[in-house]
Amino acid sequence: MRRRTQAVRVAAVAASLLLVATGCTMSNDSAANAPAGTTTLKFWNYYTGTQLTWLQAQTKKFEKANPKIKVDLVQVVGSQQDQKLLASVATGNGPDVLINNIVVDNPTLVAGGVMKDMTSMWNSYQDKAQYPSTAAWKTNGKVYNLMSYTNLIGLYYNKDILKASGIDSPPTTLTEFQDDMAKVTAGGTYKALAESGAPTVEGAWLFAPQLLGLGVNYCNFSGKKVTTAFDRVAGWSKKGYIPLSTATWDQNTAWQQFMTGKYAFGLNGNWQLGNVKSAKFAYGTTEFPKPTDGTSTVYPGGEGIAIGAKSKHPAEAWKYIQSVFLSKDAAETSFAQTGSIPLRKDASDTQAIKTNTYVQPFLTAAQKTGTWPNNPKTADMQTSLGKAISSVISGQQSASAGAQSAIDTIKKAKASGGGTCK
Amino acid sequence: MSVIAKEKPRAFDSTAGPGPRRSHRLVRKIPLGYLVPAVVILLAFAAYPIFVLVRMAFSDVGPSNIVGVWNWVGFANFGTVFGLPEFWRGLARTAGLAAALLAVNLIVGFLVASVLSTTGRITNVVLGIMVFVWALPPIVSGSVWKFLLDDSGAVNTILHSVGLHPVSWLSSPGLALWTVAAVVAWAGIPFSALILRGGLLAITPEVIEAAAIDGAGYWRTQFAVVLPLLRPTMWILGILTVLYAFKSFDFFYVLTQGGPGTATNTLPVLSYYTAFSNFDMSTGATIAVISMLAVALFAIPYVRSIRQEPEE
Repeated sequence: MRRRTQAVRVAAVAASLLLVATGCTMSNDSAANAPAGTTTLKFWNYYTGTQLTWLQAQTKKFEKANPKIKVDLVQVVGSQQDQKLLASVATGNGPDVLINNIVVDNPTLVAGGVMKDMTSMWNSYQDKAQYPSTAAWKTNGKVYNLMSYTNLIGLYYNKDILKASGIDSPPTTLTEFQDDMAKVTAGGTYKALAESGAPTVEGAWLFAPQLLGLGVNYCNFSGKKVTTAFDRVAGWSKKGYIPLSTATWDQNTAWQQFMTGKYAFGLNGNWQLGNVKSAKFAYGTTEFPKPTDGTSTVYPGGEGIAIGAKSKHPAEAWKYIQSVFLSKDAAETSFAQTGSIPLRKDASDTQAIKTNTYVQPFLTAAQKTGTWPNNPKTADMQTSLGKAISSVISGQQSASAGAQSAIDTIKKAKASGGGTCK
Repeated sequence: MSVIAKEKPRAFDSTAGPGPRRSHRLVRKIPLGYLVPAVVILLAFAAYPIFVLVRMAFSDVGPSNIVGVWNWVGFANFGTVFGLPEFWRGLARTAGLAAALLAVNLIVGFLVASVLSTTGRITNVVLGIMVFVWALPPIVSGSVWKFLLDDSGAVNTILHSVGLHPVSWLSSPGLALWTVAAVVAWAGIPFSALILRGGLLAITPEVIEAAAIDGAGYWRTQFAVVLPLLRPTMWILGILTVLYAFKSFDFFYVLTQGGPGTATNTLPVLSYYTAFSNFDMSTGATIAVISMLAVALFAIPYVRSIRQEPEE
């Protein structure tokens, strides 16, 4: 009873806080009029572009093979997925299946009781051995999130612009990268780099590799290396290597800019490998340039897949997840259409992946990724870094002030989350 | 309502015949019954959420206990919020936004209303377009403005074509707030103009004619006769504009997400991102409650003005 009363309370407060977010909508794709005797699964996702096309095709295939199960693909605005999921726990009308930005919101959603404990399902999964242990995200020994693929940051480059600027090969170090950007900018015809510097987790995700390769992460975020990295990015902005609007660009906007053919470089993820095929210029990919005396290291990303805690059809949801996300066919088609790197061993070893030159830098990066902080306030830590880097790019703060504010706010968030990190 | 109260008793007395006392009770109950749906909706969708929001501001709430026990922490969250430099900056930005909206909506709104105070086909067409602009969802018009105001967008392309330097409308920390304020004002001008036009049309032509007979020119008539007569309308419009500034969120969400850095973090934006990006629900709710108090402060003179209107 008490829980129900609180649920109503939460729904009410969510409604009042969300009144401001007038633009948030959900739309259903299919299965609106399922015949009697059919189970309908609600799947909240925020896929767009080739990822959405892939998901729709996979779902159709699943529905055909399982005529008694229909799947509603409910489109949610990506940045609003977490708050909607948290509110859904209170109202009891959450999804059966969901995807989430696992590296940012896993601790929050677990704490909020959004996701079902999938431990027994995962342990009895016949192809479990095909996956690395990192595919199952555990809290207190229980599996709440599964990953079927990983996404990482790499450097896309426009071969035509590099050739026109007298650059023979793509950069491998940050020093070379800066020299190349200087050459492109000096030419006056093209712009150097399109990347996200938004005051959100996206800005942080793009900036972090400059420090990760030097051993600096959210758990030990301080010192001269941090200031140097902020100085470097401030210099990029001042010298015109990146436009001022980088400070507000999310990754999608940055990608659209790279695809215009006006930018020599684009820092973005392997999920754009499907979209880059439509580029009207010659392109290539390489690893994130490594810092001096460091290595090229990026954070692993990607979507987590989970079953909603309030789902009335967990068995059907698990069947759907196995077929659409965890199967070999799913991994191979996902890679072919979207460029997502499969975690499944028998899929990542295929010839199609091994011979794809564009994906190789991302595969290499996947072997030596950084470790995310295991702290309930990880979203806060990442947002703090995003705000700091955005403010430095825009000139709102100096590099040293931005670095210091990032150090202070990350430290505060870490302490507020209980101080745990690893 | 009073008409119903006077007429209904006769009907009940003559047909149902339940006796004068019972019919009198029914009469008293029926008008109140009409209010029930409105009261229920108000309680469910306004009063109760606000009550829970206030309770959240006085409790320690995060993702782990949002469905669970909320520990009462008194005014601790308010102390935290008042200690945040970003809160005070957000308050200053919100005040700046309110000032900008007041200036634009009252001045431009008055000019537009003056131009449209005549009747005719062109006026009707322009009014129709304005209502369309006003009714556009901010997510739609905001996205269009984001495209237009991008560093390489249409506005800068035009500036470049006439030999001017491009302007970082949304990415310059010194300019972004005012750019968004201009877009918010643009969306609000139709409302202001329609309200002020209504006020202008209510001024009797005899008053204007009398001013002309006394030798007042166009501008003197506007400043010495029309504006004073419009003062009550402008006062109410001004209060509504300030309220609008304190709840304005959607255009900020679409155009800048509070950035670059924190340059466009007004109080509603700060509240939203604190609650839903950092998942610090209590602090987000506290900022929302403080914003609400500020709004209530301005709502009091508004309500008083409305109540005084019939007397005037």
